[in-house]
Amino acid sequence: MLSLSSVSKKFSGLKALSEVSFNVESGAIKGLIGPNGAGKTTLFNIITGVFPPSEGTVIFLGEDVGRERPDRIARLGISRTFQQAFLFKSLTVWENVMLGRHYRSKAEFFSCGLRFPWARREEKMIREQSLEYLDMFGLVDKKDRIAHELPMGEQRYLELARALATEPKLLILDEPTSGLNDNERAGFQDSVCRIRDMGIALLVIEHHMKFIMEVCDDIVVLNFGVKIAEGTPKEIQNSQKVIEAYLGTEEEIDY
Amino acid sequence: MAVFKDKNKLAWSLVTAGVLILPNILGEGYYLSVMNFIALYSIVAIGLCLLVGYGGQLSISHSAFFAIGAYASAIFCLRYGLHPLISIVLSQSITVPVAWGIGSVVLRLKGHYLAIATLSFTIIVGVLIKETAWLTGGLQGLGSIPSISLGNFLIDSDWRFYFIVWPLTMLLLLFALNLVDSRMGRIFRATRESEDIARLFGADVKMYKVKLFILSSVYASFAGSLYAHFVTFISPVTGSIMFAIDIIMVLAFGGFTMLWGAMLGAASLTFLNEYLTIFADYKRAIYGLALIVIMLFFPNGLLEGLKDSGRFLLQSARKVGRE
Ligand SMILES: Nc1ncnc2c1ncn2[C@@H]1O[C@H](COP(=O)(O)OP(=O)(O)OP(=O)(O)O)[C@@H](O)[C@H]1O
Ligand SMILES: [Mg+2]
Repeated sequence: MLSLSSVSKKFSGLKALSEVSFNVESGAIKGLIGPNGAGKTTLFNIITGVFPPSEGTVIFLGEDVGRERPDRIARLGISRTFQQAFLFKSLTVWENVMLGRHYRSKAEFFSCGLRFPWARREEKMIREQSLEYLDMFGLVDKKDRIAHELPMGEQRYLELARALATEPKLLILDEPTSGLNDNERAGFQDSVCRIRDMGIALLVIEHHMKFIMEVCDDIVVLNFGVKIAEGTPKEIQNSQKVIEAYLGTEEEIDY
Repeated sequence: MAVFKDKNKLAWSLVTAGVLILPNILGEGYYLSVMNFIALYSIVAIGLCLLVGYGGQLSISHSAFFAIGAYASAIFCLRYGLHPLISIVLSQSITVPVAWGIGSVVLRLKGHYLAIATLSFTIIVGVLIKETAWLTGGLQGLGSIPSISLGNFLIDSDWRFYFIVWPLTMLLLLFALNLVDSRMGRIFRATRESEDIARLFGADVKMYKVKLFILSSVYASFAGSLYAHFVTFISPVTGSIMFAIDIIMVLAFGGFTMLWGAMLGAASLTFLNEYLTIFADYKRAIYGLALIVIMLFFPNGLLEGLKDSGRFLLQSARKVGRE
């Protein structure tokens, strides 16, 4: 459903990505790994339209979205979470999820300000549906709290709930379990599988190899902006190139 | 949030009832006239609060739009002989494209740059009003603007105007309260925190900002039109930069992100203004001092400050009671 071909990105001289190509298939969980600074988050930013690639194309569901605006890409069905969990501080937990329903609803200025009956019904729907997403992650009790008061584990779930509320076809997660302990990470792993079972494709950046190896159907490895390997968890674990790339970094320990 | 919403509705109903009873207590006279100005100020402040407090776009163009509303309505009436009600409506249809044009250019800017660009617009409108004397009366201004009339019923007294302007103010406040607690309100608050991330949730931020700017400008220009037909005289002072700064001060008084605070700010500043007339030229200095004190002690505005103090007093009283 998502297909990258020869995607490159330069930041004033620094080549963050060079000619990266791979596909994400529907219904699958794809892992994206690589040492710090490999260009993983940069790739996510390109896919979601935060900035365009310097070269190459990004095709999502048959449409070239490489130079499309982020809000249009979101509306096509890509949603994401952030490396540094990002929740809106001036919105409650519940409202953060309601925001996820934004482009699935229609009421504009006048309908909202005048509370037309249909806008009222729509708002009621938004509230109820958002509650269901909160319920999926056991956050209903905390719905009226300010989002960033939650412990990190719950913030991560709230990000998931908000992203799911957009009804994405592709969900991309940037280090979703950083800041979680091993227990919490195991729980999170189940949630990710549940999301896959809902028929949503996932693309996941993670540094925790156990998580990645257990959850992903296949994995792409980046190093210094270059794709050095792609394959099943088994293949990646045995790839000499990957082992070399990680040599001398601390991340190996996580196996 | 559900509870909060109901509390807002309750407060709105109570204040509306209070506002409609008040003239019977005050009687015709000085205070009624002051109340009318508070209403006009409030309309501008509510509009600006939506843009600055919720949208996060600091704009100093509201006195210009107030002037555009006032002048357009007066000119339609005086030069083209249109009925005041029609003039008021037509004036807004001038404000909308102007705000759209200005908004789509200046809203590309952020923070200080946006403030300066909108301030420049205010200065330009001021100059245009002075220089196009054939249309606007120049420095002399425009007098004998007809009062609003409904059939044979002329809105020419404080008392009558009160019952036009206050219900309108409360309805415009209700509109704003509804807007803020809705799909659009949430996206504005999100946009204020991070435009980039709001975009990732499907918000066409550029368009939303322009639309909010138009709405906010129409609040100001509508108040301007009402003002013209109420005071029946307007001059370049009507839309001066001083007025633009006053309105920003109203928000600082009331708290930038509180629609109710905007009204409280409008009321306090109007009263301050009235009481300080005895100090003549020092008035503005005292104004400024009051603002600094409020900013120091109640950085979130008067309303939040009063709420906090109330809570504190209540707690202290309870403590004393227990001992
Ligand atoms: N907006 C930007 N402007 C300039 N340089 C950037 C920008 N974003 C990323 N970079 C640079 O691109 C390179 C890749 O960064 P990126 O954040 O994509 O790495 P990453 O693989 O996500 O690393 P980590 O595992 O630490 O999150 C880094 O050298 C980074 O400094
Ligand atoms: Mg990263």
